[in-house]
Amino acid sequence: MSIKTAQESGLALCPKCHKLNNIDPSSGHHARIQCTRCRGMFYPRKPHSLQYTLAWNIAALISFIPANIYPIMILYSMGIGDPNTILSGIGEFIDYGLYPIAVIIFTASIIVPLIKIIGLFLLVYRVHTGVRLRPDKHSKFYHALEFLGPWSMLDVFVVALLVAVVELGFVTSVSAGPAINYFTLTVIFTMIAANSFDPRLLWDKKQGFENAKGQNDD
Amino acid sequence: MNKTKNTKQLIACQQCDALYDAPILKQGQSAKCTRCGCLLAERKVDSIERSFYWSLAGIMLSVPAILLPIMGVTLVGQYHHASLLDCILALIDRGFFMIATLVFLFTLAVPVVRLLGAFYITYSFKFNRLKPSLLHLFRAYHHLDNWAMLNVFMLGIVVSMYKLLDDTELSVNMGLLAFILWLICSTMASSALDQDYIWQELENEFVD
Repeated sequence: MSIKTAQESGLALCPKCHKLNNIDPSSGHHARIQCTRCRGMFYPRKPHSLQYTLAWNIAALISFIPANIYPIMILYSMGIGDPNTILSGIGEFIDYGLYPIAVIIFTASIIVPLIKIIGLFLLVYRVHTGVRLRPDKHSKFYHALEFLGPWSMLDVFVVALLVAVVELGFVTSVSAGPAINYFTLTVIFTMIAANSFDPRLLWDKKQGFENAKGQNDD
Repeated sequence: MNKTKNTKQLIACQQCDALYDAPILKQGQSAKCTRCGCLLAERKVDSIERSFYWSLAGIMLSVPAILLPIMGVTLVGQYHHASLLDCILALIDRGFFMIATLVFLFTLAVPVVRLLGAFYITYSFKFNRLKPSLLHLFRAYHHLDNWAMLNVFMLGIVVSMYKLLDDTELSVNMGLLAFILWLICSTMASSALDQDYIWQELENEFVD
């Protein structure tokens, strides 16, 4: 592959305004650069990208556990509380026969966070070791992860709406449970983790391998 | 390698850092990276005009969308309804301050600020009142890119309607219509905004 990267050519791309900046050759590749166009400070590659991604990811995984154990919503009717966890809420939808909604909630609140956490672990591992690295496939996978992030907030918004709407005093009312805090933290942490990952590392690693191979052939 | 390059005629892929000569695009054309297939550059059709009017409409719609009740329930003769703002206030009432703050940010503050930002930027372009401060403003605008979640809230409304339909009498209010229109306007306003064009114009005006 004969494609040249900006970094090899002594250039760096501003992540905010997408302007190419010349890197001062004396300062090296890890120096902070001020963009000539938007005046923002940035790095040619996100610094310690893998470590940050890993750290936020572990935080997300930890907060995902209490998010599933504690009740996310408590339904009071005639003064008696009926606590619901995320999974038991989905079970209720299945009992009522509302399968499409059950599938949507299950996808948004269980599958998506898990896929994001596992997927980011996998990406970090692959970039770190370089084993079976397929940058084209993996960068598409990363974009899917990034896109899915906000949709996990669905359950939080549903609870927020129900708390506000179902407020009929003693007859019925809905209260949020402690799990909603942990679940929101999970979603925020995975979003920050996905933001900290730099997809350009995938291509850098691959190119590094190919260059090394080329030298060995010579 | 020490010679500095003319960075105006070069462009790099944001996702894989591949370097290309800057393409000359007509309105409606876009360029894709040959290595990773991501969007490289794009010239949007009539960007300033479209974004200006969508964001203007969005700003006007934000007031009813936030304040009017979205839906209400009736059970044994009692009726109660809630708007987007009521959701946040109810969460504060119950002591869920973190969730209230985040819901406020993602569904109210960020979309409103983004609309105002898009409106101010396109207004300045439309009436030729460019100021150097726009560089900072537009940079700040990009920080909020990922954090507007009106579309997720919309799905949340649909799901909670299904949940309520089962054992209560559900009524839909004007707030829902306003909210849907607001969602459409803010999505269109941000997707019509041509970032590459705005940055280039600002650069020509102030940097050189």
